Amino acid sequence: MTPCALCRGCLALALLFAAVECGRPTGHAGGDVIGGPAGPAAAMPTGDLSGVPQSETGALVVNPLAGRPAAVARGKALFVQMNCAGCHGYDLGGAMGPNLTDRYWRYGGTPGAIYQSIADGRPQGMPAWRKALPPSDIWSLVSYVQSYGGTTAPDDYQAGQQGDVAALPVTPSGVSPSPTPAPTATGQLAHP
Amino acid sequence: MSNRLVQRASGTTCRLLAGVFVVGVAVVACQQEPGPKQGLPVPTVHVAGWTGATASFAPNDPPGEWRSQARDYANTRYSPLTQITPANVAQLKMAWTFSDGAQFGHEGAPLVVANTMYVVSPYPDIAYALDLTKPGAPIKWSFAPNPAPIAIGKACCDAVLRGWAIADGNLIYNLLDDHTVAVDLKTGKQVWRTKLDNPETGATMTMSAAVFGDKVFVGNSGGELGVRGWLAALDPKTGKQIWRAYSAGPDDQVKIGADFTPYYSWMKGKDLGVSTWPTGMWKTAGGASWGWVSFDPDLDLIYYGTSNPSPRVPAQRPGLNLWSAAIFARDATTGMAKWAFQFTPHDQWDYDGVNENVLISIPWHGQMRKALVQFNRNGFAYTLDRQTGQVLVAAPFGNLNWATGIDMTTGQPIVNPAMQPKPGIMLKNACPTDIGVKDWQPSAFSPRTGLLYTPVMNVCMDVTDHVQSYIAGTPYDGMDMQRHAGPGGNWGAFIAWDPVNGRKIWSIPEQFMVFSGALATASDLVFYGTVDGWFRAADARTGKVLWSQKLGSGISSPPMTYTGPDGRQYVAVYAGVGGAAMTEAKQAGFPPRGNTLYVFSIGGAGISGGAGMMTTNAGGAASQLDSGHNGRN
Repeated sequence: MTPCALCRGCLALALLFAAVECGRPTGHAGGDVIGGPAGPAAAMPTGDLSGVPQSETGALVVNPLAGRPAAVARGKALFVQMNCAGCHGYDLGGAMGPNLTDRYWRYGGTPGAIYQSIADGRPQGMPAWRKALPPSDIWSLVSYVQSYGGTTAPDDYQAGQQGDVAALPVTPSGVSPSPTPAPTATGQLAHP
Repeated sequence: MSNRLVQRASGTTCRLLAGVFVVGVAVVACQQEPGPKQGLPVPTVHVAGWTGATASFAPNDPPGEWRSQARDYANTRYSPLTQITPANVAQLKMAWTFSDGAQFGHEGAPLVVANTMYVVSPYPDIAYALDLTKPGAPIKWSFAPNPAPIAIGKACCDAVLRGWAIADGNLIYNLLDDHTVAVDLKTGKQVWRTKLDNPETGATMTMSAAVFGDKVFVGNSGGELGVRGWLAALDPKTGKQIWRAYSAGPDDQVKIGADFTPYYSWMKGKDLGVSTWPTGMWKTAGGASWGWVSFDPDLDLIYYGTSNPSPRVPAQRPGLNLWSAAIFARDATTGMAKWAFQFTPHDQWDYDGVNENVLISIPWHGQMRKALVQFNRNGFAYTLDRQTGQVLVAAPFGNLNWATGIDMTTGQPIVNPAMQPKPGIMLKNACPTDIGVKDWQPSAFSPRTGLLYTPVMNVCMDVTDHVQSYIAGTPYDGMDMQRHAGPGGNWGAFIAWDPVNGRKIWSIPEQFMVFSGALATASDLVFYGTVDGWFRAADARTGKVLWSQKLGSGISSPPMTYTGPDGRQYVAVYAGVGGAAMTEAKQAGFPPRGNTLYVFSIGGAGISGGAGMMTTNAGGAASQLDSGHNGRN
């Protein structure tokens, strides 16, 4: 078994745990429910939560593969193989599709939001990859995008919602101004 | 210099000789200019001479109107109007403006019929009829077709629209999401809407519909996404498809039959649209038709080009890759191909063949020959016999290094082996880049000089190919490029071209690309605009810039001219940079997006402004993309 296959197997197990764990309310931030069949990122709201002035929902999802060199390398390969580069540029600087290296994110720059963009697509032509790619590959792509430094740390979710991160400097190699919390035992929830 | 001019003109008429003399004087005057005046570029003048080229201006629309994108079947973009002249053009001032609010690239020209101007925004493709008889040119009606937003991300080169057409009392145009619509000119209500392709496959529709006789011609875009290109003829009354011809596949789908007689033998054979590809790759061949269509009513032939082959990585598709990067001459009635010519066999650099074909007649070995001129993306200007497809003239009109010339026995380029991209290896300084020495932005022809006037780009690339997989709805592309200016450092130029002798007559270098297209008038003026927003008028004979105005955004759409209900000549152009012009977006000085139509007249005079003008005559409200602001009709 190659290291990569091993890694993917472990992740699949982790996602299985996550799906079980996430099937119940967390009791956090107004009782947000994190979970769903495709992994926790699928339950993130795409807008702000009505009736909740300061939702922390988007901060709950971290990338279990963030910063892992093997995942970044896998994501880099996928980025070319899946034709992502054709739209977003080989330098991720944007072309047909948006720039992925700056701090501006049309649909959110947290790992969960980026996972969601890849898995479910977006209305202006971004295809949904959830049928074509397993969650580990999607998280690897998120890791690769994170390595360019423009993404939003989960703890900065609220700041992203309210326009307070777009002007922050880009910090390559995935080092964000607020350190990303370490993955928990399930590999999914920063604030279980 | 003047002796040489007279020698070149010997054998022509006295009138022409007199003309040459005038040009010679103008050249001298131009060269005596001490330097740039008011920041105007100094034209590089080589030699001037008459070519004897002429054109038909059928359907001979009223001089003051502009009823189709190129004004005539031949695609000359030549207006017979003469009020604005080299003597008074410096007094051009803004008369009125109109903003459509759309933020994508503006690539079409307004049409004017019966004192009404028709414009259509880029996505969301909203159409407007503007009443030119009333102060402020108020909206008579507007029409929001609400195309699917998914198409925005499938358009390789911005969610643009290159024009619209008028036929049978309808405004006819393509929507980005692969529909063609017809809207009643009087009421603004939809008459028909025809679905022609599927945006989920990566297909979009960005070209201007073209109307000739009793047919509307439309085609698809998506050569960067592995679509299979096609051109279709529709009934302008119903939108029903009459015929459709693909750019790859078996002969019956390409509409190649017994009448097909290409001039060169390497394009003869059965099902070449299949056999010049690796097995099955014709199904995702590219060869989209997103440029301009010309029409010769006497021959009943239409002429149009096809895009690059897909994927853009040549290593994946050994073979000629017919019928990509080619021109078709087709029977307008049946769609059957009469002849074809592939400009760039096995295209390795993304040199589409979609650019406009300007139909002219030229003196050739003592007789007038029906010809067409295409300034190809690959950097060669071709003058072809439009009855046979024979290459009469092929000469570089800008900077290129991918080929050393054209083999006139085959019409094929002589490829420079050092400039062939390979997967995984960076090829430095290949010229031109993917957008070519000239892209879709159309040239103009003046019968008074016998010259064509065309925008030129001077851009090269460092390119690395990446092997691609076909995944429907994603780019099937693989070109990893860094673009930079070519020799001289200027990204663009505007030139006058002799289509008979294949030579540049004059050139106006521009710091930024010229992506506007061109307009020529009977007063010997030519108009063009730059990507950084300068709209200019130049002397058609000398290339001397006579007037410039900085607009609110870059110019990536063709200028046009018309006569208003007040009898004045106006010149109009959109400032709304976008499309492939965005390849220069990282240059210092690149302007923001925009969406304003600027209309100019001598002194800014007209019925839309001036002392005592207190109110506008409000017409309809502008339609919006959705119903969020109660603007929807």
